[in-house]
Amino acid sequence: MLDWWLPENVSTYGKDIDWLFQLIYYITGATLVLVSVALVAFLWIYRDRPGRRARYTHGSTPLEIAWTVVPALILVLLTALSVPAWSRIKMTQPDTDFVVEVTAKQFNWQITYPGPDGRFGTADDKTLLDEMHVPVNKVVRVVLKSQDVIHSFFVPQFRMKQDVVPGREIAQWFEATKPGKYELPCAELCGFGHSGMKGWVYVHTPADYAKWAAETLTAATPPAGDAPRDEPRREEKAKR
Amino acid sequence: MTTEILEPPGVARPARGARIPPPPGGGDGDDREPAPRRPFLDNVRLAMIFLISGEIMFFGGLVSAFLVLRVSAAVWPPPLQPRLPVAVTGLNTLVLLASSATMLAAGRALRRRDGAALLRWLLATAGLGALFLLVQGYEWARLIRFGLTLSSGAYGATFYTLIGAHAAHVLGALVWLLVVAVLAARAPLLERRAGPLTACAMYWHFVVALWPLLYVAVYLA
Amino acid sequence: MSVISASAHAHVEHHELGFLRTYVFSTDHKMIGRQFLFLGLMMMILGGALALVIRWQLAWPETPVPGLGLILRETGGILEPSTYNMAFTMHATIMIFFVVMPILAGGFGNFLIPLMIGARDMAFPVLNMLSFWAAFVAGILMLAGFFVPGGHAAAGWTSYAPLASVVEYTGVNWGQNLWLISLFVLGISSMMGSINYITTVINMRAPGMSMFRMPLVIWSLFITAILLLLALPVLTSAAAMMLFDRVLGTSWFRPSGGGEPLLWQHLFWYFGHPEVYILILPAMGIASEILPVFARKPIFGYHAMAFSMIAIAFLSWVVYGHHMFVSGMNPALGMAFTVSTMIIAVPSAIKTFNWLGTLWGGRIRLTVPMLNALAFVSMFVIGGLSGIFMASTPVDIYIQDTYYIVAHIHYVVFGGSIFGAFAAIYYWFPKMFGRMTNRALGHLHFWPTFVFFNMTFFPMHILGIGGHMRRIYNPLQYEFLQPLQWWNVLITIGAIGLGLAQLPFVINFFWSLFAGPRAPLNPWNATTLEWTAPSPPPHLNWGGALPTVYRGPYEYSVPEWAEDFLPQTVPAARAGARRH
Ligand code: HEA
Ligand code: HEA
Ligand code: CUA
Ligand SMILES: [Cu+2]
Repeated sequence: MLDWWLPENVSTYGKDIDWLFQLIYYITGATLVLVSVALVAFLWIYRDRPGRRARYTHGSTPLEIAWTVVPALILVLLTALSVPAWSRIKMTQPDTDFVVEVTAKQFNWQITYPGPDGRFGTADDKTLLDEMHVPVNKVVRVVLKSQDVIHSFFVPQFRMKQDVVPGREIAQWFEATKPGKYELPCAELCGFGHSGMKGWVYVHTPADYAKWAAETLTAATPPAGDAPRDEPRREEKAKR
Repeated sequence: MTTEILEPPGVARPARGARIPPPPGGGDGDDREPAPRRPFLDNVRLAMIFLISGEIMFFGGLVSAFLVLRVSAAVWPPPLQPRLPVAVTGLNTLVLLASSATMLAAGRALRRRDGAALLRWLLATAGLGALFLLVQGYEWARLIRFGLTLSSGAYGATFYTLIGAHAAHVLGALVWLLVVAVLAARAPLLERRAGPLTACAMYWHFVVALWPLLYVAVYLA
Repeated sequence: MSVISASAHAHVEHHELGFLRTYVFSTDHKMIGRQFLFLGLMMMILGGALALVIRWQLAWPETPVPGLGLILRETGGILEPSTYNMAFTMHATIMIFFVVMPILAGGFGNFLIPLMIGARDMAFPVLNMLSFWAAFVAGILMLAGFFVPGGHAAAGWTSYAPLASVVEYTGVNWGQNLWLISLFVLGISSMMGSINYITTVINMRAPGMSMFRMPLVIWSLFITAILLLLALPVLTSAAAMMLFDRVLGTSWFRPSGGGEPLLWQHLFWYFGHPEVYILILPAMGIASEILPVFARKPIFGYHAMAFSMIAIAFLSWVVYGHHMFVSGMNPALGMAFTVSTMIIAVPSAIKTFNWLGTLWGGRIRLTVPMLNALAFVSMFVIGGLSGIFMASTPVDIYIQDTYYIVAHIHYVVFGGSIFGAFAAIYYWFPKMFGRMTNRALGHLHFWPTFVFFNMTFFPMHILGIGGHMRRIYNPLQYEFLQPLQWWNVLITIGAIGLGLAQLPFVINFFWSLFAGPRAPLNPWNATTLEWTAPSPPPHLNWGGALPTVYRGPYEYSVPEWAEDFLPQTVPAARAGARRH
């Protein structure tokens, strides 16, 4: 039974999507049953039998109005329910101080953290390949960029998907609700390596995250002898 | 092997006691007497209208793409790019517009059944069209020498694609016009068999009318 | 009593045309229609073969595809990722542009329009011939792409920029160029064809054939032609821009040169959404033709049927953005497109319920054309309903680019258009080729096709809900997809069955073509004009005068008429009409 349905949802807005999905599922399912039953019933009841003559009618205005208006109302309802969820997910950016930059390229995800100074574009930025670490229950803003073609940032369990377009920066957000390790496939055809272009999103408990960040991000002071990296760093500090 | 034949087609005959007229058969009712139809536009004109609407969609695609790039560019025209020859092309626009006038004159000559005048006006139209293309070609050659090429960014790309697409259409219309002129020279077109000329003239006017729009969009705006 | 109208005095002479003029460079709309039909059917073999290659790879990734070793010698028949991309790109391109469009719009459009409106030929027969040959050249160009170094186009049938517009990103050079050139040529072909159709329908109808006495299939083809006329030039312009980007170094779609990648998507879908209705409208018309004949009942709501198609045609221009909900375009636009997309489902609802209304109270005979038409109705409904999920923007975030979309595609294009095409082939075969098809083989084709079709494409919904991305070469590369893999195996078995199920069709087609029993004038007791012409109709269609039309096309089971069908050509006086 498990593989018949949506994968487990672990994001805040995923619930809204799943709810809408199920609503449409039941509405369309009922419509399908209605239409199919009517079709099969008519085929049986009105099958050709000797002596039968078909009913001579060109239509019925009340009926036609009914089956125009009822679907229209249902569809208006679905639209009205879709719009708020959409604007919450794609048109608003909740406040957050947790920003990650994701740069897609054929065929990897480069995940960049701002480093201890909290700013991007500085030398203490830390870039990971194909893995992203985030704390649970915290709004995460993802800034998506591409170096070459269009990719798509897709985390099935977050119900999150966004194309990554070269020449643009697209900001998205999510808030994971359950620690774990989630697959991050690329969902837009991006060349021969499209299949298999994937990474992992690790959602940590706050304690785990702090530990991980301390090990990987903060402790990322370059080992001695890394001169070329040191230069711009000092400049940065001087500017401050 | 069995095949799908239902009852053999019988001769249709009314049932006994048939009196009530059948209601409209899922469409216009019986009260409409069949009559020979007199189309309000002949086939050629109608077809040309549709051809031109298709062409408008084609140029619509190009122009809207151009506008998208132009609006999203920070500065337009981009710095360090040669300027387009606005004045010369403006004059050239007049040349092309004049060719529409000569085309109209050709139509009048046709209605007068004046074969010689028809041919003259057709050739004048073709001449003006050719002049337009020559000036355009000359200006292009200069722009290329100044470094504006197809591959020099969005400016060059949009300019040459749009203006080039139009030039290709003028060229096509010119060839068509010359064919019609040859036809007219060989056997003077009678008014009732003027299909080729009508079609060509409509196309010509379309190509001419398109130009000022492109001129404004690409050269002036 | 025969009514001869004044305009119908065309003199019909019998003249022998040579082989070339009759079969190859024919200007006869019927021959051109047959040529389009054959072009489509031949291409379908290739498109289907590519589909099976795709399916094999998905079920048993990276194992040799049986028989493919002969072509892919270096790999011994194992697909490489780039070959896989090429396979689905060309599968879709061929199926859409060289199967469904040629068969439905090209083949049946040409064959039916003059015959059903009572014209001797198209308005511009020579243009019509050129239209076919342009399509043929486009087909050759498209096929040529398989033989150039670098392989054929591999950026999906949507060829998104910059993947498709920059050679380095795929390594495909002339393949993609030929793809663009071929579609450019096809655009010219479609322009010639659609101008012809529209002019013919407007100007060449027989006396008495008013617009609202036209059969609905003619309405559908008329509207399709208008969509073709206006939509394809947009693709043509986009294809030209992309070709320039690739060959001449322009930067329409390249961000580094000031271009805009999303521009391609806007242009493509501005064409692409009308295009999908181009694929379905003729099939809708075909179903509206066949259901009344075999239910022996007038179509339910004729005017509503015609107007809903017009509504679809109008709305199809304003919904295209539903393909771009997560493309990065302004999300506010996404809302607007949700609204319009939901609205466009309403005319389809009207049509569906009117088809049901047509069956209600009928006298239904499940002949082979009828079965296929019923399959069309039911499968189109499934495909349409899955469209509602995608129309809801939040839901589309999740299912976009998954197999849910692939399921939708195939329910509407195979379940819709191809079943419609099968219905049309079985229904008009007697008129097209003068012979009846075999009924047993017809059933042997229909039932397995119907079952295997659902076995192939229904589980794709489940894969899609599970998050299975489309256009992936090897699902086993993803941990979350591994438990779903058995669905892929099941689907592939279904697809192989679906392929095999087409064999009876091929046999039936060719056997009937040469050895089927001769078809009578009107084998289905239908009312429309084509059944008053001989089977197959001669050059110029009607020997004597053109038919005169007295009523709408669906007069079945008229109470005061003994026969259960009252042809459009029976004069009103004889039908007992008093009104004038
Ligand atoms: C013949 C082709 C055809 C047809 C007819 C349709 C019809 C519809 N399509 Fe489809 N579509 C495609 C072919 C087609 N489509 C293809 C090929 C793609 C993929 C392209 C690609 O990316 O490669 C696509 C993709 C596609 C998307 C983009 C998905 C994505 O990429 O994320 C969307 C989104 O809204 C969509 C929606 C719809 C809708 C709402 C309809 C509606 O017109 C359907 C209307 C019909 C019904 C709804 C059923 C009958 C009605 C009733 C029984 C009444 C009761 C119903 C209710 C009350 C709900 N389609
Ligand atoms: C009209 C359109 C059409 C048709 C008919 C089909 C038919 C089929 N399609 Fe396809 N498909 C698309 C349009 C179509 N498809 C599109 C638009 C895409 C998206 C591509 C993209 O992502 O870019 C797609 C993608 C697509 C995928 C997804 C690939 C991916 O995303 O990785 C798959 C996978 O299973 C698939 C499978 C099939 C199968 C098994 C069939 C089977 O139904 C085929 C069965 C048919 C045959 C085996 C041929 C039988 C031969 C005859 C009937 C000829 C008879 C001849 C004579 C009488 C002379 N298709
Ligand atoms: Cu990156 Cu697909
Ligand atoms: Cu669409």
